[in-house]
Amino acid sequence: MRVEPSYPACRLCHSVIGPPFARCRERTGRGESVIIMHVTQELELYPEHSVTQMLFKDVKNAAELRQSAVDGKLNCALITPTMLVNPLQVLVAANKAVHLQKTGKMKTRGLYSEIIFNLSPTNNISEAFNRFGISDSDDSVHVTVVHSKDEFHLVSDITSRVDGQQLPLEHMSMLTDAAKVKKLYKVSPQEEKCGTLLDALICRMATKDVL
Amino acid sequence: MELEEDEHNTNMAQEKSDDTPFQGKFPEFRSQIDLLKQGAEARVYRATFLGKPTIVKERFRKKYRHALLDEKLTHRRTVQEVRSILRCRKAGIPVPVVYFVDYTTHSIFMEEIVGSTTVRDHIASSQQSQPEQDLEQLANRIGQVLAKMHDEDVIHGDLTTSNLLLRSSVEKSQGIDLVLIDFGLSYISALPEDKGVDLYVLEKAFLSTHPNTETLFEKLLKSYTASSKKSQAVIKKLDEVRLRGRKRSMVG
Repeated sequence: MRVEPSYPACRLCHSVIGPPFARCRERTGRGESVIIMHVTQELELYPEHSVTQMLFKDVKNAAELRQSAVDGKLNCALITPTMLVNPLQVLVAANKAVHLQKTGKMKTRGLYSEIIFNLSPTNNISEAFNRFGISDSDDSVHVTVVHSKDEFHLVSDITSRVDGQQLPLEHMSMLTDAAKVKKLYKVSPQEEKCGTLLDALICRMATKDVL
Repeated sequence: MELEEDEHNTNMAQEKSDDTPFQGKFPEFRSQIDLLKQGAEARVYRATFLGKPTIVKERFRKKYRHALLDEKLTHRRTVQEVRSILRCRKAGIPVPVVYFVDYTTHSIFMEEIVGSTTVRDHIASSQQSQPEQDLEQLANRIGQVLAKMHDEDVIHGDLTTSNLLLRSSVEKSQGIDLVLIDFGLSYISALPEDKGVDLYVLEKAFLSTHPNTETLFEKLLKSYTASSKKSQAVIKKLDEVRLRGRKRSMVG
């Protein structure tokens, strides 16, 4: 039996798979390597809106953050990373939220609550908040900010409020509770044969109003 | 989607329908998309959406129709298409992933199956070079997938070899990667008659597009019969429908 070599633990993610930083590092055009922490995607349909996602672990002030968000003082979506599988999942939810906001058809009261609601496979709003929003005892948090290209300071404003350690967004999959996700979204084993788990989630999110 | 329209039809469609893509919305997005096909009911574009290669299918308005009726019809067709795709996916039938549905412009944003060829093109090129064996495997797979779809009571409505895509998978051991597309005429039905007609449509399309493929289609049906739990009634209906075609004697 072949034993895989193990590497010293990566300082950021503690992964021993591959050399340190291998999963966190991306080479820039000039051959330098920078560690990609947050990821920003411009919404093609609404280019004045960009969506930035960030991931934090060892968060000590989840309760405070959650309360601020509820009070409308923290303008971001706080999502529990255990229910997330891939950044695209959040992007699909965010795109739909922005679209519904623009067309005046949101089901919830605000853009960020709408993003959380869109993640849910059901049309029950409070259930969505319970399942996907963070709870006071959470120690890992996924943060989503919708902003325009020149409003990036909004992102750093929020980042500074989080008392925790930022992880590269790519590490999202390491925090996923796949069993919990499959159960909530009711993904059958046969469905996983014709596509990835992410495919199953996105399809449900995109089409739930048709059910 | 019947894209083999004669020119007259297409011209008519263009004059009497709303020409501006997405009803004038999404200006920057519009400048970055490519029109792939225009049919009587919808336009199909290729674009990048959320960083992913995407197909956008927009059902446009028909000005000659009463506005309210047109809206309801178009909306209903969009909903039916989306519902069928989701139903197929949940049952493990390979279909594109839906990323987003815009009910204001009746547009469906879905996964582009990159690096694929239609079964139509594959058969056409295969007939010239490769042996019949490869095609037999393909026929078996198609029969299998259709059986699964019909067992889910999904009627495709427009089964042609252009609506079956082959994803080029690197490893042949993984089997044939087939994807069903274009559920624009699809609906839900448990009736063997509807399933029989679905197969009949495919048979007609098959035999007219690809000469000398009668045995191949027979294999497809065999595979279908073996894979489906309700196939007996369906094949019976298929035989009945065949007798109903043009220049057929209804004496029986």
